[in-house]
Amino acid sequence: MTMLEYDEEVNNCVCFCCGNNCDDITYLLKDKQIVGIRNACRLGASKVVCHPDQRLLNPMIRNEEGILEETTWDEALDKVAMLLSESIRPLLYGWSESSIESIKKGIKVSQLTGAVMDNSSTIYHGTTIQAFQNVGHPVTTYGEVKNRADVIIYVGTNPMSDHPRHLSKFTAFPKGFFRQGGRKDRQVITWDPKFTNTAKISDDWIQFNMNEDYYFFNALRTVLKGQKIDDEVAGVPKDKIMEMVNIMKNAECGVIFLGLGVSQTLSKQRNADILIRLIEDLNSYSKWSMLPMKGSLNVGGFNVALTSETGYPYGVDFARGYPRYMIGETTTIDLLNRREPDVFVSVSDDPVIQFPGYSIKHLVNIPVVQIGTTWGPITELSDVVLPSTNLGIETAGTVYRIDSVPLYMKKVVEEPRNCHSHEWIFIELYKRIQQLKCKGDN
Amino acid sequence: MKKMEVLINTGTTAKQVFHEKNGSTLKNDYRQVAAVVYMDPRDMEKLSIKPGDSVDVKTKWGHVTLYAKKSHDAPHEKMIFIPRGPWSNVVVSPETYCCSVPTYKGILGKISKSDKDVLLVKELINVNYNKYNNSNSESANDKPVYIKMR
Repeated sequence: MTMLEYDEEVNNCVCFCCGNNCDDITYLLKDKQIVGIRNACRLGASKVVCHPDQRLLNPMIRNEEGILEETTWDEALDKVAMLLSESIRPLLYGWSESSIESIKKGIKVSQLTGAVMDNSSTIYHGTTIQAFQNVGHPVTTYGEVKNRADVIIYVGTNPMSDHPRHLSKFTAFPKGFFRQGGRKDRQVITWDPKFTNTAKISDDWIQFNMNEDYYFFNALRTVLKGQKIDDEVAGVPKDKIMEMVNIMKNAECGVIFLGLGVSQTLSKQRNADILIRLIEDLNSYSKWSMLPMKGSLNVGGFNVALTSETGYPYGVDFARGYPRYMIGETTTIDLLNRREPDVFVSVSDDPVIQFPGYSIKHLVNIPVVQIGTTWGPITELSDVVLPSTNLGIETAGTVYRIDSVPLYMKKVVEEPRNCHSHEWIFIELYKRIQQLKCKGDN
Repeated sequence: MKKMEVLINTGTTAKQVFHEKNGSTLKNDYRQVAAVVYMDPRDMEKLSIKPGDSVDVKTKWGHVTLYAKKSHDAPHEKMIFIPRGPWSNVVVSPETYCCSVPTYKGILGKISKSDKDVLLVKELINVNYNKYNNSNSESANDKPVYIKMR
């Protein structure tokens, strides 16, 4: 095996991939280029081994024949500013790989243009946030889980696939202050309709029927309150439910991690509602809390930033000059399904990978702007493409981990010559839209 | 052709996210991990499907051709798993029930063996959305098509 040659190490970097934001990443540099990465998982290393032919390097505008043509930043920014200032219902979606600093600049642009601002919470953990608003937010941090938790439950989530270092770095395996034995001192349980990779390394797996999750959670709560239940609920035998409640009651400190298997099924926010109520009841016996397993880099940070600036977590509509938020009305998928937006700006996220086909069909009829780093399905539907930088590698910035702990991401290497950060792009757009508005007023 | 009624479950897999993050979504590598359907081996036997065969998945919202794969998470009879991506999006339900989140999991659908090819991302976008009247024969491949600045 040949040794990797490098001349510089950058330590204690924050990973840019999932919501765990592992903060022990080391980048290995040679001639100011990344040649290696330490401590990261497969996903964390993905952007380092990226495909150079797919990187967006220059701004592009689609010409009359429907082919993207490279252009200057001035022309591309003027075109986007024009689209945004002329539109009646612009929609700024994405932001999960943007820093808090750039989200703040985005809010200013949204206020100026009367846009709707939304992020991927709207399709992933939006229902969990609604449940927090309905019932409460029994929050915890990873430090508490690592040092105290002896029962860890994963519901409808598979961190072994989508947050690969979650169990080994933050929850099940590390030694904690009160859990010196590490994994041996903890009980890991998975509730999932599938025997997922997480279920395979858990101590116990409870399989409930799909779309009957709400019945199962309700049955747990019923048993906890000392009421009777049927012999089988949602495909789970009564004895199993009784045993589960017993484990939960006798835990010293327990945490429930809930994933998209809870938030995206038919029961929507009622699923998280009932889990939070279960935690409320369990706190009469022991210490319990929960955390949603948010997917992308700064999804939680967007909710925090938007809540502190406007009072609402996502799907905020500035059309009337002041922030409005109405689930089912000002949220992205509902807007697209009603065919309302007339300009769509995708910031770092890829709607064609994320949205249902029926919603994407509206993007065919309206101008679409992509602000992103790589060529992807959304580029095929975009009219203007603005190349941006990777947060945490080429740009510094603040992000929030899924337990709402803010972390500062370092700049490791220089950005490509003609790429700019989201912050720079939105400052420039703000200036240009303001100029257009002033001209219009005269 | 034998058909089976199934519940469709979509979700994230590590391999699919890896290709989305490193920007190789147009390539065949991404198709091999995202345009797949994980089935219970007993369901595959009933429909005489072998791993790697093309299958058609159809719901109220659309239909798509995918590669069949044996599920590592079995048993989950009459439930199929499709990784999140442009292919699964064609068949998922956009219905949010006023809760902002569309129904990505637990959608009723039908699955059957197919003789069609699985499309690359560009071909899939041209077939389903066709914004710029691109024809599949010329423009659709795994390379970005654009005009360089002079």
